[in-house]
Amino acid sequence: MKRSENRLTSGLFADNTVLSACMVISPAIMCGDTIKNAIALIYVFTAITLPSVLIASFVPKRLPYAVKIIIYAVISSLIYIPVKILAENYYPESIARIGIYFPLIAVNSLIVYQTEAKFFRMKRTKMIGSLIFYVFGFDAVMLITGFIRELFAYGTINSRMVDMNTVISGLGKPFGGFIFLGLMCGIYRKIRSMIPEKKVRSDVNVSD
Amino acid sequence: MFLINELISLLAANMILTRALGTSTLFIASGSRKNLVATASVITLFTTCGSAAAYLINYLSGGKYSNFILLFYTLAVGIIYIILLALFYLFFRQGFDKVRKYIHLSAFNCAVMGTLFTISESSSNSAEGMSLGDFLFYGFESGAGFVLAALILSAAFGRLNSSRVPSSFRGFPAMLVYLGIISMAVYSLK
Repeated sequence: MKRSENRLTSGLFADNTVLSACMVISPAIMCGDTIKNAIALIYVFTAITLPSVLIASFVPKRLPYAVKIIIYAVISSLIYIPVKILAENYYPESIARIGIYFPLIAVNSLIVYQTEAKFFRMKRTKMIGSLIFYVFGFDAVMLITGFIRELFAYGTINSRMVDMNTVISGLGKPFGGFIFLGLMCGIYRKIRSMIPEKKVRSDVNVSD
Repeated sequence: MFLINELISLLAANMILTRALGTSTLFIASGSRKNLVATASVITLFTTCGSAAAYLINYLSGGKYSNFILLFYTLAVGIIYIILLALFYLFFRQGFDKVRKYIHLSAFNCAVMGTLFTISESSSNSAEGMSLGDFLFYGFESGAGFVLAALILSAAFGRLNSSRVPSSFRGFPAMLVYLGIISMAVYSLK
């Protein structure tokens, strides 16, 4: 029972979408530099991924792999349309700043590739639970990344000035995103290695 | 001088080093020379053909259906995906099993989809718009940029994955930090 629960929640920490599985890292690097951007990304990722995977689970499994992949991408592209319209009303500034990464989140590898490799091997109820934790895992990483990068890059928290002696403006740039995410992954792995009987996944086998 | 200028522009407009598009695919590609050549070739095919399709979609839609652009691009990439698989199956049946994994990996990739959106964005920002030739050129250039970034990463791949690097940072985290440093150098070129 405990093992089953662990598998269900693995997406939150043990098999985190960004830190462990190396997925959806482009938006995290490029746009995860403020809390506002992070929240906009969280909204987009959650609003598109959850219904897309759920609807995609009804696609017949007998279809050829390539056809299924295209159908999954088309489903998420269709869900992207109302999500975009709503986002333009609620987060107009952040959506403009996220730019091309907004549609790219819609065709992220969690929807397009991991559905086949991971989610559709589970029963639907368990799949929904597991998917929610995978999405929460991404959301948590984005919030932490947005908070730390905004604080150190701009000296603000959610656009409010903070009394900071040192500001590292490079953290707000793409190279800062690469370096920060690399360091965060290293720290995450260190923490995981301290937890007994948990093997850290070191190889990368998915597309972003 | 022309070659130096082209190299600088390839670096300065590099989709991986400046926009982080296709980063994890790059990690897979730089693992071995065989993977690098195959993945880079397929991604270049997708970005070039996809750019031509993006030009056609933009031309036909006339900028009216911006909410549907992702759907149109997805369908276009899907068609290219099927055509590529069919072509390889018909004409290179012996090597099809080896090649198809690279086609699967490259089809709905940030590097490919990101290139289409980047070119369209550049086209809509330019006063006169861009021609089909421009779209094809930038699509091909994005693929070439991927090759360049993969070569830069593959040069250090062995060291970044060696036992000298602390186990927590070995592999993916070290490669991210390395790409960050290269990206920082490229940032100074802009």
